[in-house]
Amino acid sequence: MKIIYCDALVIGGGLAGLRAAVATQTSGLNTIVLSLVPVKRSHSAAAQGGMQASLGNAKMSQGDSEDVHFIDTVKGSDWGCDQDVARMFVNTAPKAIRELASWGVPWTRVRKGVHEAVINTEKTTIVEDDEAHGLITSRDFGGTKKWRTCYTADATGHTMLFGVANEAMKHKVDIRDRKEALSLIHENSVCYGAIVRDLITGELEAYVAKGTLISTGGYGRLYQTTTNAVICEGTGQAAALETGIATLGNMEAVQFHPTPIVPSGILLTEGCRGDGGVLRDVDGYRFMPDYEPEKKDLASRDVVSRRMMEHIRKGKGVPSEFGDHLWLDISILGREHIEKNLRDVQEIAEQFNGIDPADEGAAGWLPVRPAQHYSMGGIRTNATGESQTLSGLFSCGEAACWDMHGFNRLGGNSVSETVVAGMIVGSYFADYCDTHDTVISTKTVHKELKKQDSYLDEILSRADGEDIFPIKKRMQEIMDEDVGIFRNGDGLKNAVDELQELLTRSKKAVVKSKARAGNPELEEAYRVPRMLKLALCVAYGGLLRTESRGAHYREDYLKRDDKNWLNRTLTTWADEDATLPEVNYEELDIMKMEIPPAFRGYGAKGMTVEHELSEKRQEEVDALKEKFEAEGKDRFEIQDALMEYGLPKNYKDTNERLGVGRE
Amino acid sequence: MSNITKGRELTFSILKYNPRDPESRPRFVEFKMYETTGMTLFIVLSKIREEMDADLSFDFVCRAGICGSCGMLVNGKPLLACRTLTADYPDGNIQIMPMPAFELIKDLSVNTGKWMDAMSMRVESWIHTNEVHDISALEDKVDPDIADETFELDRCIECGLCITSCGTALMRPDFIGPAGLNRVARFQIDPHDNRTNEDFYELVGDDDGIFGCMTLLACEDHCPKHLPLQQKIAYMRRKLVSVK
Amino acid sequence: MSNIIEGYLGVTPDTRKSRLPARLDWWQSATGLFLGLFMWGHMFFVSTILISKDFMYQVTRFFEGSFIFDEPKPILVSMIVFIVFAIFIVHAALALRKFPTNYRQYKIMKTHTVVLNHDDTKLWFVQAYTGFAMFFLGSIHLYTVMTQADKIGPYASADRVVSDWMWPLYILLLLAVELHGSIGLYRLAVKWGWFDGKNPKAARKRLKKIKWAVTVFFLTLGFVTLAAYIKIGIEHKDNYGERYHPSKIVKMPSCCLHQGGVV
Ligand SMILES: Cc1cc2nc3c(=O)[nH]c(=O)nc-3n(C[C@H](O)[C@H](O)[C@H](O)COP(=O)(O)OP(=O)(O)OC[C@H]3O[C@@H](n4cnc5c(N)ncnc54)[C@H](O)[C@@H]3O)c2cc1C
Ligand code: HEM
Ligand code: HEM
Ligand code: SF4
Ligand code: F3S
Ligand code: FES
Repeated sequence: MKIIYCDALVIGGGLAGLRAAVATQTSGLNTIVLSLVPVKRSHSAAAQGGMQASLGNAKMSQGDSEDVHFIDTVKGSDWGCDQDVARMFVNTAPKAIRELASWGVPWTRVRKGVHEAVINTEKTTIVEDDEAHGLITSRDFGGTKKWRTCYTADATGHTMLFGVANEAMKHKVDIRDRKEALSLIHENSVCYGAIVRDLITGELEAYVAKGTLISTGGYGRLYQTTTNAVICEGTGQAAALETGIATLGNMEAVQFHPTPIVPSGILLTEGCRGDGGVLRDVDGYRFMPDYEPEKKDLASRDVVSRRMMEHIRKGKGVPSEFGDHLWLDISILGREHIEKNLRDVQEIAEQFNGIDPADEGAAGWLPVRPAQHYSMGGIRTNATGESQTLSGLFSCGEAACWDMHGFNRLGGNSVSETVVAGMIVGSYFADYCDTHDTVISTKTVHKELKKQDSYLDEILSRADGEDIFPIKKRMQEIMDEDVGIFRNGDGLKNAVDELQELLTRSKKAVVKSKARAGNPELEEAYRVPRMLKLALCVAYGGLLRTESRGAHYREDYLKRDDKNWLNRTLTTWADEDATLPEVNYEELDIMKMEIPPAFRGYGAKGMTVEHELSEKRQEEVDALKEKFEAEGKDRFEIQDALMEYGLPKNYKDTNERLGVGRE
Repeated sequence: MSNITKGRELTFSILKYNPRDPESRPRFVEFKMYETTGMTLFIVLSKIREEMDADLSFDFVCRAGICGSCGMLVNGKPLLACRTLTADYPDGNIQIMPMPAFELIKDLSVNTGKWMDAMSMRVESWIHTNEVHDISALEDKVDPDIADETFELDRCIECGLCITSCGTALMRPDFIGPAGLNRVARFQIDPHDNRTNEDFYELVGDDDGIFGCMTLLACEDHCPKHLPLQQKIAYMRRKLVSVK
Repeated sequence: MSNIIEGYLGVTPDTRKSRLPARLDWWQSATGLFLGLFMWGHMFFVSTILISKDFMYQVTRFFEGSFIFDEPKPILVSMIVFIVFAIFIVHAALALRKFPTNYRQYKIMKTHTVVLNHDDTKLWFVQAYTGFAMFFLGSIHLYTVMTQADKIGPYASADRVVSDWMWPLYILLLLAVELHGSIGLYRLAVKWGWFDGKNPKAARKRLKKIKWAVTVFFLTLGFVTLAAYIKIGIEHKDNYGERYHPSKIVKMPSCCLHQGGVV
């Protein structure tokens, strides 16, 4: 068993982890990145649709700014987000994308002159300005006022990931793949690295570092039908949870995407609808305008997913051997558009379903049904990305609850978050590692190593018991059935009960091959109990939260309840033998919000239990705005007065835009 | 999902071998199962692991043909297993082997990541420039066609199918391979990269590089992303052969 | 000195990579192209026998300098063959770099060719085998025609084919060179992207078709020609060594004397 020392340890080599590693490495810290798989295969590569950044280059995105992006993000989150963080985010996103451009990400560019787009099923002619020719262009995405989603055809995540990974290689970041972090090393509430298993040799190693950053992505595989990669099992969050000190935030906030293809669950990007595709029912009828007259097919994801399920429940679904589904129609965009901008979508449809979506009429319609897609919850951090309770532990990307998404994240805001948080959190993380020393006794390190070692031995020594695979499968079924798009008290209660039982059973599961290395069943055997703990955080948090907010939708509590639930769920797991997490809440302070809670602008109206402070704060904000405007202050000064926020480096600089400069 | 139709019986012959285990001998092991609608090798292999042989190693990540993890030889053809449908094999006999050219980890799992990282380091797969970009200022303009062309080559998912299908790469492990040559072409086109053809010559101007390619074109014919490898390797050859 | 430095260190004194690999690749293609096109000409030349013995005779005389000299100058032919032979050797030497050089390399390439069952890879294997065969077959033929340049003609050649037992060699050489050459020319075109046009994939398909047409054409032409030589050779067996005289001279000796020469 080896001990490896470094300055900064980054667990997870997706977009978030790699960008943070570039930040630490370039500030002179010896950085190691660990990943389950070669980093360029991280799930970030699967993001197709795009990255939000308010560049405002293209015609349909002119007039965009940080302010508009901010409003969209806060509304999208159903006021569950941390508005400071959302501000930090929107101001840095344009910088992130420009940085990526200089690192070689081949963003699709504005082409001057006339082009056609399908808006609201109507062919619309758009004329792009000459001056914008060659700047980064953007497309429409759900829940946004402007066309803000920048993209590289439909392989955005892939090109971003390669861009960032290439940059990390350039700076000689020490990237080690096929390594799995099992647990964190900590002493006196300070984190000093992790115990790691080499997935090839099966060896255990201790990585000791001044600071540790977890960027292990989401936990979609708690569910059976998910768009997530098979490695998105939340083991990073579980490692944090199992310290008993670090907290997980808003674990019940799980997003469902409207258009994964049936039955594989592979995602068809939101860009399909962003570019003008529409949803149809069994009669070929376009039903979304009936439910959402304003945003129609492009309302936020939680809304569209629920409307689809509602419509299926009304008997308007298309029956199939894999259950009822609806149709996604992009054939109306025309073959040329599909073959250029939605090629991956076409490939997926052809490869997995034998459908060419460019075929006209019903022949090209794609079977879709909502499925788990994104984990808003994660390791709870403060605005610098550091755990609120375990110092030296940082987190960013989908693994974290930083928290700019609240209870629902907007399409395109996630890959954007990964690189932005990689810059911001990475910078704070570098500062931390720079100013702190590794003061941990090797005894503690050995103790933790020994503990994981004996745990693996214990699993292998079990003589009889049940298989681990059925337990995992059952967990995934429960999560789909009872902790899915529609939730209610009874279902959640059932889920919590049965998951507890599964957790107990999983600790006795037996592994047939007794090899320490190259034994996939052993991996399942130690991962599944950890996954079950996360599943319990999700289900139990959902059971306790008696309101509907963003993606968390309770049929027995239909209203968003700002009075009682304008808070963030925090779960900890101090007692190893417990079968339930401890749950606490962190209040959101309305009086510090730049935009106090109000109607989201989509979904049904009058579905909120208002907080008395919302109105008060709104008046305060209005008055302040009016005053400052009268004094001739610019929008940055006004914003600063309403809600101050900090950013490292020069990330607070104002962003230049075509035609408006830095105003 | 219970009323899924039960189809014909399929026979899978899968190579099992653990080079790290001195007891292990390479051998083909047979598994049988009934076909279901839209069955892919991802579904098949997961099922084998869950129900028949928990010890079988293989790699999948995205299971959607996006991440490049799951290259395997299926009846001799290099394919992405996750998007290979059993329906494409009319006689129902499917042989699955790990890809040659890469270090074998176990059974169907090979270390493509290691190979690709070494390749990336060799061709210095990153933007070389002396300009420091002010990230709060407007980005540099790029001609939309050039951006599209760069993107076209940037779509490589490092799956390694081209390497496995390239006889040159199999014979000569030091050959930079089609994926490496494509990468060079990608940076050669990118206007952000200031490297000249002389610089690229230093990286791949030898018999382990562009001049090692024997134009077998199996790369072109097996790339799951349909990258224009034939065209771009020829392009780089023309550029580099004329370097003074 | 720079040779020692590059030899041992792998870099030139100005720390640049040697330009030689580029030159070698270029020469490999240039010699291949020359030989490939030369063989087209060569096949047309030997097949003149199909038109008539006279025509073949005249073309032979042409190469012996009949357009300048009155007397046949076989040395000219020897010189041409020498040049071709040199190019042939250079090409073969360069091609050596591409051959499998140990059992492991051969084994993996062989397995791969069978298992992958990929057209262009199989064609390469054919090229390597035929190339290897031509080391010997081609050398024998070239050495022969170089040293016996005076013995080329309707009868002399036919005698060589039949009575000197060259026909088995020619059958093999013909197969080898036509397969090798046409595959090589096709490979050259895709290797350098000469006819890529707008759609390189389609261009390659077309080139492949042309390649097969060329192979079939020249093989047919070659075998028919060889058959012609064999026929003549058998008929002429008893007069082995006798040289051909143009029919005009044989049939109308007086007339020829008038004209004072052939042609
Ligand atoms: C199909 C799909 C499409 C999407 N499209 C979009 C889109 O268009 N726009 C958008 O904004 N967002 C999109 N998203 C969301 C977005 O892609 C992800 O949220 C984001 O990429 C997550 O990045 P990350 O760096 O946090 O994590 P990931 O990219 O998931 O990386 C996680 C890393 O952690 C490693 N890891 C995990 N566990 C461990 C462990 N225990 N030990 C060591 N390493 C570990 C993994 O190997 C991996 O390297 C999409 C998501 C999906 C599923
Ligand atoms: C001893 C004789 C010969 C040997 C050993 C030989 C071998 C080879 C080999 C191995 C190649 C493949 C090169 C590569 O993969 O890059 C090749 C290419 C080629 N050969 Fe030959 N060859 C011989 C004679 C000939 C002859 C007589 C011709 C004329 C018809 C010819 C025409 C070509 C052509 C056109 C190419 C393609 C060139 C290229 O790819 O750059 N070769 N030869
Ligand atoms: C300048 C060089 C060459 C000359 C002058 C020459 C000459 C001839 C002649 C005169 C013949 C008729 C048979 C004979 O006389 O033996 C012949 C046949 C043939 N030569 Fe060559 N040759 C040359 C180069 C080559 C080369 C390089 C090759 C291939 C490697 C080649 C392959 C053949 C073959 C296959 C035949 C038999 C053709 C048939 O009968 O269809 N020759 N050559
Ligand atoms: S070039 Fe094609 S086949 Fe080769 S690694 Fe890239 S995507 Fe795979
Ligand atoms: S298969 Fe190999 S030899 Fe060249 S054309 Fe492709 S790299
Ligand atoms: S698993 Fe990602 S390409 Fe097959």
